Amino acid sequence: MLTYEPDETLAHRLDPRSKLAVQIGFAATALAHPTPRALLVLSAVTVVVLAAARVSLRRTVIAYRYALVVLAIAPVLAGVTIGSPWFDRADALTSGLASYRVLLILLVSAAYVRSTPVRDSRAAIQRTIPGKPGQLLGIGIALVFRFLPVLQGDLRTIREAMAARLGTERGTIDRISTVGMLGLTRAFDRADRLSLALRARCFAWNPTLPPLAFSRLDYPVLAFALCLALSAFY
Amino acid sequence: MIEFRSVSYAFEDVSVLEDVSLTIEDGEFGLLAGANGSGKTTLLRHCNGLLTPDSGEVLVDGTPVSDDLIAARSSVGMVFQHPRDQFVSATVGADVAFGPENLGLERAEIDRRVDAALEAVNMAGREDDRIDTLSGGEQSRVAIAGALAMDPSHLVLDEPFTGLDEPARRSVLERLAALSADGTGVLLATHDLRDVLTLADRVIAMRDGQVAADGSPDDALEDLAGLEVRVPDR
Amino acid sequence: MATERNSVELVDDDAVRSFARAAVLAALMGAAAVVGSIPIPLSPVPISLGVLVVYLMGLYLGPYWGTVSIGLYLTAGAIGIPVFANGTAGIGVLIGETGGYLWAYPLAVILIGLAVHGTDDLADPADTSTPVIAAVLLAALIVIYGLGTAWLGYVLELGAIEALQLAVVPFVPGDLLKIVAAIAIVKAGRIDPT
Repeated sequence: MLTYEPDETLAHRLDPRSKLAVQIGFAATALAHPTPRALLVLSAVTVVVLAAARVSLRRTVIAYRYALVVLAIAPVLAGVTIGSPWFDRADALTSGLASYRVLLILLVSAAYVRSTPVRDSRAAIQRTIPGKPGQLLGIGIALVFRFLPVLQGDLRTIREAMAARLGTERGTIDRISTVGMLGLTRAFDRADRLSLALRARCFAWNPTLPPLAFSRLDYPVLAFALCLALSAFY
Repeated sequence: MIEFRSVSYAFEDVSVLEDVSLTIEDGEFGLLAGANGSGKTTLLRHCNGLLTPDSGEVLVDGTPVSDDLIAARSSVGMVFQHPRDQFVSATVGADVAFGPENLGLERAEIDRRVDAALEAVNMAGREDDRIDTLSGGEQSRVAIAGALAMDPSHLVLDEPFTGLDEPARRSVLERLAALSADGTGVLLATHDLRDVLTLADRVIAMRDGQVAADGSPDDALEDLAGLEVRVPDR
Repeated sequence: MATERNSVELVDDDAVRSFARAAVLAALMGAAAVVGSIPIPLSPVPISLGVLVVYLMGLYLGPYWGTVSIGLYLTAGAIGIPVFANGTAGIGVLIGETGGYLWAYPLAVILIGLAVHGTDDLADPADTSTPVIAAVLLAALIVIYGLGTAWLGYVLELGAIEALQLAVVPFVPGDLLKIVAAIAIVKAGRIDPT
């Protein structure tokens, strides 16, 4: 699975906001220019970005394997025609280039995922988005991160319990609604207990924000992100 | 000091607390005993304004709770059953910092409090541990640290031993004894009085929403007969 | 110390409860992306419970907190928490070929939330008639398919028919079953939205 891994790479030392800017700039220009020449340049950028975050290409490809299957099918589907010539190479090529840029966008975002702990992203959100929305999003993603393994455990338990009681013999709709209902009930029970703890600990709209600061390293990276974004218009 | 003055509370027309008057002194180690449904949890949740009495009044350090919720919640730290549903962050340090961050304290003071709170529960140096990798007893202790970081004068715990094995239970108890020795007031609701009577200065027994007995642990053993609590084997 | 504390602005008790539910449902959606899938007969694609949770967000959290919930899910995935399909994460997924579905989720939640709860306090979805719920869930699904297919077609340079073959047809049976399941959950009336 593709997740944050502690390391000392260049990307790990950057502010999440710089890395976010690079991704957006990269995606903008990749969406604007699905041409062989532009994609060659962007491939080179991708290689640099992956190296800067020490991303394992093999593990990333495995993590995105389902998305990659779709990317691989798309050009075939675009090329196939009913009746002569049966396969339109120009259409397939256009779609292939388009698919390839999506692959590059996925790989670049993998560099952010590997190099950025949730804590830093949360700090970036709370410091960038002002007021209540920023606070809700910041604390909210911390809660999602905390409760994800807990609820995965709940869903596993529910499915195992159903299987143990011959649940596999029941109808599909019955099974979906049972998992959904039990999952939702447990989630709400946990949420109601969580809300007591949040209140007891003075959950406030205006807390001390988590620490985060740009370093000298960030400015050239931000400038690079800006260049990428501007290149989308040429 | 926590003061209940003729507090009554009903939930969906069923009386849960009936005319409860009670004073918990600073530094006192109190046990709140009673069977399930005797009103222990409801009583505790009035200490920091999670519940508001239908009639009567609760005061913390002489101020009605409803007049200053923030003061009441800082002064009365609360730990609930099911510690795993009380965490707001995936890592220990970030979670313990949540309370003091909400109080708007300076970062240096927050760090100092997090260190002190983790020290107090024997979890020093574990800031970066992921909460879902901790044992049940460790999770309970981190939940206590989260309350301690608010710098409370009272620590209120609702059935903190549920689901803990014997060594974990003892590790939590030992920490509570140490906190009490350092002057923090402890109010512990439990139906399992083994090992805890010797720590307590006072036992308050609840039955049907009323205080059925209130006195020293020695007297309590007789009063507790018939209250469906688990007392030490003799 | 007292002056510092006076400036603390507590989040309302009701808001805390709704927010906690929104956050935990966002996590449930992420959990369903990894462990929730159920194989169905006669379909090559197993059912992921993801879209079912989108329905439940609209039905049980309403338009406002439902949007917060799905917003938390999308943000959590964007910053690297593995909540997207098959435990993936990253902004690339939001921009990639299935991004259209993800962006359509908030619209679907708002649509369902408004139809069931209006703009006031939360109602019990069990009080809404079955045909109305069925119609609004179907409409939400059409919004999801519409945006999902349009984006997929644009980003992979596919024609409309090709995009539909790739992104809609394999999922239709499962998604219809999920609508029926959502109605069954609502009509069982065992979950209190308030």
